[in-house]
Amino acid sequence: MEKRLAEFKAAGIQPVAISVDAPGVSLNLANKSGYTFPILSDPDAAVIRQYHLLHPAGAPDAHDIARPAEFLVDSSKIVRWTNFTEDIRVRARADEMLAAARQLR
Amino acid sequence: MPDLTERRSNLAPWWGLLLALGAIGCNVVLFVGASAQSAMPLLSLVFAMVAIVFLVIGLKRAFGLPQIYRGKVLSVVLTVVALLPVALTAFAFVVSRKLPTSTAAPQVGQKVPDFSLADTSGKAVTLDQLLSASSGTPAHKAVLLIFYRGYW
Repeated sequence: MEKRLAEFKAAGIQPVAISVDAPGVSLNLANKSGYTFPILSDPDAAVIRQYHLLHPAGAPDAHDIARPAEFLVDSSKIVRWTNFTEDIRVRARADEMLAAARQLR
Repeated sequence: MPDLTERRSNLAPWWGLLLALGAIGCNVVLFVGASAQSAMPLLSLVFAMVAIVFLVIGLKRAFGLPQIYRGKVLSVVLTVVALLPVALTAFAFVVSRKLPTSTAAPQVGQKVPDFSLADTSGKAVTLDQLLSASSGTPAHKAVLLIFYRGYW
């Protein structure tokens, strides 16, 4: 993801990651992985619920978390592309997301 | 009297073990980021199932045709060893796919809800801010919202 960040920027796309992790946890992830895009914290899963992405008791310690999902949202906040994996081991590929991003005018 | 020196070795349990390990080995594509990663879950399951077939064949040969095949003890040992990766593969397949369908989630053409969430420094960030111009760069054409499980 980070490796392709320049390509996302060139396409005018801002990647944003969202999970229930606390800001401190996300900061560790960002530092460890060198991520420079925003990583947002939704500890109560309020926004995750609003987006109907709650995976109840999905965490190893049975906390509520987000099911993995990606949305390309244009400047009018309209969804232009989505991806909902059926298997947590299969993640969205950067080239798929870039292809969707480049189709936006 | 039949000639017992002509008994054949029973390779089926070895193939079973190899395939069972191959089922686990399929996981490497997830880490190298191969484009085949979407096929990995099913592929590993197929490996595990074919492994079971070979293990069953191996046991049937060893116990059903002892006059032809050697290795009763070995076939049992290999089967027990191979069943661990087979069970792991089956378990991972079920657990990894136990996801809500999220049919009510925003679909293409729909408007997404606004939000305000803390970034890594604890500062609140809204969807509008993410879409608008940041210092020195023009307004973004779009944002890519990536919801992830966390707990890494």
